[in-house]
Amino acid sequence: MKNLWIRLLHTDSARRGLIMLLIMICVALAAPLIAPAPPDHVDPAARLLPPLSRSEPDTGHPRGALHVLGTDSVGRDTLSRLIFGSRLSLMVGFAAVVLGAFIGTLVGVLSGFFGGAVEAAAGWLIDVQLSFPFLLLAMFLLGAAGGGELALVCVLALATWVNYARIVRSQVLSIRNQGYVEAARAIGAGVPRLIFVHILPNTLTPLFVVASFSMAQAILTEASLSFIGLGLDPSMPSWGTMLNDGRDYLLRAWWISTMPGLAIGFTVMGVLMLGEGMREVLDPRSSG
Amino acid sequence: MSRRPLTPFRNGVAVFAGVSALLLVGCGQKATQPIVVASVSDVSSLDPHLLDVNHPTGSVIWSLFDSLVRRGPDGADLPRLASSWERVDDLTWRFHLRADVKFQDGSPFTADDVKFSFDRMNISPFNSEQQLWQQTTLKQVTIIDPHTVELKTDKPATTMLYWLEEAFVAPKAYYSTHDEAWLNTHPMGSGPYKLVEWVPGDHLTLSANPTYFGGEPPLHDVEFKVVPDLNARLNGLATGDIDLALNLTPDTVTQANTAHSRGSTVLGLRKLHFGIAQHSTQAALRDPRVRRALNYAVDVPTMIRTLLHGATVPLPSVVNPPNNNPALKPYGYHPDLARQLLAQAGYSQGFDLDVDFTPMWGQDKDIAETVAGYLNAVGIRTHLHADEWSDFKNHLANQSFNGIFYAGWAALINPAVELVIFTCNQEDNASGYCDAKYDDLVHAANTNFDPVSRKAQIEGAEAMVWNDAYWIFLWRDPEYAGISNRISYTLRGDDYVEIYTATPRQP
Amino acid sequence: MNAAAISRLSRALLVLLAVSFLTFIIGHESGDPVMLLARGDATAVQKQDLRHSLGLDRPVMAQYGTYLRNALHGDLGESYRQHLPVTRLIALRLPASLGLATTAFVLAMSLALLSGLLCVIYRHSMLDKAVAGLAVLSQVVPGFWLGLILVLIFAVHLGLLPVSGAGDFEHLILPAITLALPTFGRMSRMIRAGILDALNSDYIRTARAKGLPERDVLLHHALKNALLPLITQAGLELGDMVGNAFIIEIVFAWPGIGRMTVESIQQRDFLVAQGCVLIIGTGFVLINLAVDLVYAAIDPRVRARR
Repeated sequence: MKNLWIRLLHTDSARRGLIMLLIMICVALAAPLIAPAPPDHVDPAARLLPPLSRSEPDTGHPRGALHVLGTDSVGRDTLSRLIFGSRLSLMVGFAAVVLGAFIGTLVGVLSGFFGGAVEAAAGWLIDVQLSFPFLLLAMFLLGAAGGGELALVCVLALATWVNYARIVRSQVLSIRNQGYVEAARAIGAGVPRLIFVHILPNTLTPLFVVASFSMAQAILTEASLSFIGLGLDPSMPSWGTMLNDGRDYLLRAWWISTMPGLAIGFTVMGVLMLGEGMREVLDPRSSG
Repeated sequence: MSRRPLTPFRNGVAVFAGVSALLLVGCGQKATQPIVVASVSDVSSLDPHLLDVNHPTGSVIWSLFDSLVRRGPDGADLPRLASSWERVDDLTWRFHLRADVKFQDGSPFTADDVKFSFDRMNISPFNSEQQLWQQTTLKQVTIIDPHTVELKTDKPATTMLYWLEEAFVAPKAYYSTHDEAWLNTHPMGSGPYKLVEWVPGDHLTLSANPTYFGGEPPLHDVEFKVVPDLNARLNGLATGDIDLALNLTPDTVTQANTAHSRGSTVLGLRKLHFGIAQHSTQAALRDPRVRRALNYAVDVPTMIRTLLHGATVPLPSVVNPPNNNPALKPYGYHPDLARQLLAQAGYSQGFDLDVDFTPMWGQDKDIAETVAGYLNAVGIRTHLHADEWSDFKNHLANQSFNGIFYAGWAALINPAVELVIFTCNQEDNASGYCDAKYDDLVHAANTNFDPVSRKAQIEGAEAMVWNDAYWIFLWRDPEYAGISNRISYTLRGDDYVEIYTATPRQP
Repeated sequence: MNAAAISRLSRALLVLLAVSFLTFIIGHESGDPVMLLARGDATAVQKQDLRHSLGLDRPVMAQYGTYLRNALHGDLGESYRQHLPVTRLIALRLPASLGLATTAFVLAMSLALLSGLLCVIYRHSMLDKAVAGLAVLSQVVPGFWLGLILVLIFAVHLGLLPVSGAGDFEHLILPAITLALPTFGRMSRMIRAGILDALNSDYIRTARAKGLPERDVLLHHALKNALLPLITQAGLELGDMVGNAFIIEIVFAWPGIGRMTVESIQQRDFLVAQGCVLIIGTGFVLINLAVDLVYAAIDPRVRARR
């Protein structure tokens, strides 16, 4: 594993991607410290101010507060909302990946290990999911559940578990057919031990690759769903809801929608580059 | 044998590009087009007794059908199918019908059609949309002769004319011989316009009825188009594709001033407010001191100045002018007074409050977030919820909100009807208020034909609502629209678009 | 061939059945349409009447059974809001979506082919880098955000194109480009990679050694072998487009079936929503089926195995 990390850090794309992701994570963690204003501080008199403008002087700010990225339609500072928004978007992304990985790995291990009816059922389930435009179903589910973080995380996890299941299953199959698992079985090692000690550790590396791509997918999907109002509550500062906020103000206040898009792009690019780098390390065939 | 599989592709792309360029250049040439009215949503049905919202369904129904009485823009009751009326006694109204009206299939309009239509409004599924029978305690519709009907009520009905304004008359022969699916899409009325086509979700086209009893409307072809996107409506005005762009916002109405169009703002009749749920788990909301504090905590004048660009005034009462009680004054912005009242009521540490809104019409979210901000500033901990329209409507109907909720109501001028919302068993009473004294006053006013004592009752009821702060009182909803230079049209304050009153204008 | 095709077909049907059942149950549990339809002050009796007239007071499985039976006869129920048959509403909105998806797909594929080829010929040039950059951009930002930016530049500031809506050809341009971009990005790079891979293969070296002109080598041999495995990907991309079209339809107010699905979900008009999901799902399943069958028919290795 350590060897793997060293190789990763030497890979250009992985290193750059990691740095970008770490920047975002630090921003999210340090949000209350680095944000110039509370993200929900409403000030109608300072609404729709362009980037690099100041609001009226008041008791807290004798020269007026500087809004580096402008303000939105109720006078909230865009930069602060962007910073706090990173928390929500990253958290949802991580949670969805973890949940999806858990479900997918579980299904993959069970179907790879036990085969037979379990494998057939899992295969059919995967088929159903892949044969259907998932976003449509997600909309339906979220519309019924009424939105909210928990529902959103579940839906995003549902969107991505399939990726893990397939990889894990094929890994399990290839490992199972190798001698040492048979040997361990012959000695009488129990199923849980076989799974946790022998099989799972070897599936982790491809899992990470899938996880990074799934995280990118989760962040983009959250943005889409929040944009149409089915995801997170519109009053929460997430990048997706900020995108929606700016739709009616494209001419007068282009920064409201543009900034969160750039933030999403930066984060997703970091995650994808990390994933690319991991894939390069695992599978050194050049990809053009 | 050198094949060139790419050449057809390249050619195809070139043709594609060339054609697009040509079309781009060729755009902008508009032949004589219908007048296009752009709205946020689509008509829900063309059955006159399933009218659910003022616009666009109401506007289209008002163009296709007639009622006995027309609701004037200032609340006056104007003759339409009825040329005159009188009250025979406190429980009986008599209407004299016009003799020169024909439905659009040529059949004559008679009292038979009035009785049929009114009776239809009392059966399922229409009686879930229509309120005529319920609100006026109507008992029976009697035909005196082919051009006279009598309406008998159980109790005196002072608001009969109001409720008749949307009791549309449909021809008995046509509406009893077709099924519901047909009637929803093939309307037959006597109104100033005829239906040409309806593509649900996209547009609906009307053409002038040349034999309309009130004279053929000046605009010959009208199209009601569904354009939910604000930028699209604005753009359509600028390019000349749209002639009446509705539901603009305070921030964008100035963009409607272009070479082809002008923006128009009208002080509307809808009363915007935050309802305060009385069945909430938050007991604080049942204390009138807390409700007054909520009103003092919100800076309504600043919100009007900044969010609405000064286009409206704070609500003077729960009843629209000119009938409002002149002794009532807006609460104003007094955050210290708000904190005092909260402390007096025992909430010096503040309390948790749910704030609900529905993001249907653009500015609702801004308003809700701003009000929440003001309440946060006096120590109340707000929790915002954006509700899907159907959920919001559910909560309204079931009185199941748990805090305050942003709503607009009663875009009309008729004090007895406007006050009914707070009576105990009224199902528009989304806050869940119940006060027997209030009910008595309002019921008395509704059945009292003496103008002087009636006025006292109405003003008394208004004062009760106002002083006990049943709502967080905001403002009258301004209507923002863009009107192209092809037409002259005066916006109504209640959302209805009476396109038959618009006239062409030389651009 | 037939056995495999039949098994795929039956699987596809089972999938559709599962999805229709799932959406039916979800739609049913998600809310009471009567609440939305009835006037606020309708009495409980009036609401019950309405519920009965819409058939909503029967047990769920009975309702689903009726739904299924009717669906097989081409009746998908009626919209609660507009009192029109669902099939009619779908028929009115489907052509717009098909037009958009087809245009976007053709645009994406033809431009991807073109750019993939050009990027191979002019490897590592500015063009190559620009296309690579565009491809990356289209993957890392939400598609609709790119659409908004395009609207901002071309419609709002430059005023060259309409902001939204359908109508003549100029209304189609921005939504089609927005929908096509992610597919273009992926396919363009894949085609480029595939051609390069094929060019490096032994088989091509032989052709070169034989003295065939480079153009022939490129177009005749390399391209053909590179494109074959990409047919599956193209099918997947088309499916993806169908799935993602709805958000483009919302941003551009395109009167398609995707937008109708979202609106009907928001309005709790769940028969319409179900019908839309079913139709879109069927399309998706058909595309996958077609890709499977086409691939099985074309792939010489698969053919040889029979």
